Amino acid sequence: MGNPLDDWFVREVLVHEEALMRFLHRNWRDHDEVCDLRQEIYVRIYEAAARQRPDSTKSFLFATARNLLADRVRRQRIVSIAAVGDLEQLNVLNDELSPDRWLGGRQILRRLAEALDRLPDRCREVVWLRRVEDLPQKEIARRLGISEKTVEKHIAKGSRLMADYFHGGSGGGDTRVQAQPARGRMHEP
Amino acid sequence: MTNPDSRQVEREAAAWLARRDRADWSAQDQSAFDAWLAEATGHRVAFLRLESAWHEAGRLRALGAGAASGRIPARREWAHSPYFASAVDGTIAETRHRGAAGRRWRVTGGIAAALLGMAVIAAGLAWWNGAGIERGVWRTALGAQQVVHLSDGSTATLDSDTELAVVLSRRERDLELVRGEAFFEVARDPSRPFVVHANGYRVTAVGTRFDVRRETDGLRVVVTHGLVRLDSAREPARTAAMLPAGSIATVAGTEVRVQHVPLELAQEYLSWREGYVVFHGTPLADAVAEFNRYNVRQIVIADPSLDTLRVGGNFRLDNGAAFVRLMQQVFPVRAEQRGDRIVLSRRSAERRD
Repeated sequence: MGNPLDDWFVREVLVHEEALMRFLHRNWRDHDEVCDLRQEIYVRIYEAAARQRPDSTKSFLFATARNLLADRVRRQRIVSIAAVGDLEQLNVLNDELSPDRWLGGRQILRRLAEALDRLPDRCREVVWLRRVEDLPQKEIARRLGISEKTVEKHIAKGSRLMADYFHGGSGGGDTRVQAQPARGRMHEP
Repeated sequence: MTNPDSRQVEREAAAWLARRDRADWSAQDQSAFDAWLAEATGHRVAFLRLESAWHEAGRLRALGAGAASGRIPARREWAHSPYFASAVDGTIAETRHRGAAGRRWRVTGGIAAALLGMAVIAAGLAWWNGAGIERGVWRTALGAQQVVHLSDGSTATLDSDTELAVVLSRRERDLELVRGEAFFEVARDPSRPFVVHANGYRVTAVGTRFDVRRETDGLRVVVTHGLVRLDSAREPARTAAMLPAGSIATVAGTEVRVQHVPLELAQEYLSWREGYVVFHGTPLADAVAEFNRYNVRQIVIADPSLDTLRVGGNFRLDNGAAFVRLMQQVFPVRAEQRGDRIVLSRRSAERRD
């Protein structure tokens, strides 16, 4: 939104969301909590960067994620210290080394088009008219014969669903996450 | 710490985004919104995340260009737009690169053939008169580097503790990196691919610059110019990856990861040729391993908890002692000389003054 820290956050942190989500899904059994974990990691990163920007954002992001998971494990007192030690062995390198999100404009466009296609019908129409045809919300309401309040709600919903897929890739959403076998190694007593 | 449900925060952020998107957004709305943002970092990051995706969605206009207003395209219809017409699956970038490179090769090959006809004949005669095959093995000692000039005009720069076996024949240029790391500047010769074998993988180039480094159970390839093909010698078809300049491919076991980085960053991986190394938040264990590739006096980390300390900066590779001194200054690290080893352990009292 214009301030340098915000720009940094969007440019340097959010591009790693797909790798981060993969890491969280792989290492945290309760997938319902993954969005909360992501949010808390972002808060920690943003507040730390306000004091000092890290040298390597990606390493810092994953270090923060590891620390948060370790904190959670300790707080839950479900696991022994031995299992927390195991945290160091987590297969993060694969995620840290995974390709950065996109190579260029065509991939970004493809990803956006896929994100758009995942929206429910009416929501997709509203987003198309607003973002592609640049019609004001009022005009969209008139064309589709729905209230302005409803248009606003579709935009709110569309922005959330688009962000999940755009930043997080196929593992990004709450609802469309494919069932993955939960390893749960961190929760085992 | 209160930890409100992140979904609730996200719904609030989305509501603000949608309201701000209305034509009747007022100064009052703005100050209420500013107050909400300032209330918690969580509000701010949630909003930034939604807003950046929403902003990027404006790029979709490229797909609507030329379409009738008010007609919303069916799902997947965009795949037939000029932007994606050639894309069948998720591998567009690669097929594109390959296609473009193939054309370039043919064109330049033709010109080269026409212009250099005489030279080619002369070289061919020399070739037939000679043995026809050039073989050689080059080795460097710990801390040493060597530039090897091959008869085809290519050069290989061998890093410390490296072994490279070369076979140049009429049909191919076959090299094997037996140990260590080497940087190749390949003379263009489309009729004889330049293939570097390492740990069961093949790195193939025609005219380009790239670096290959053998690791314990894999390798790393950094491309700084041209295009390189990487595949497994056992399963070439399934594993092939095309690497344009700025690629860093890491192979561990059977897994290949490709990163695309700015060219300057890729160049930093080659700084060993100038005798220094660049670290960016590199774990201490990796940094130490790097120095140990160059120095007889090996550095050993006695306390595994030190492995994850992060190191940044430029360092002379032949001066491990200076590196160790610096580590003692900035980290709770104690260094001890034991025979020909330097042992790093954690200082008991973590004083930082």
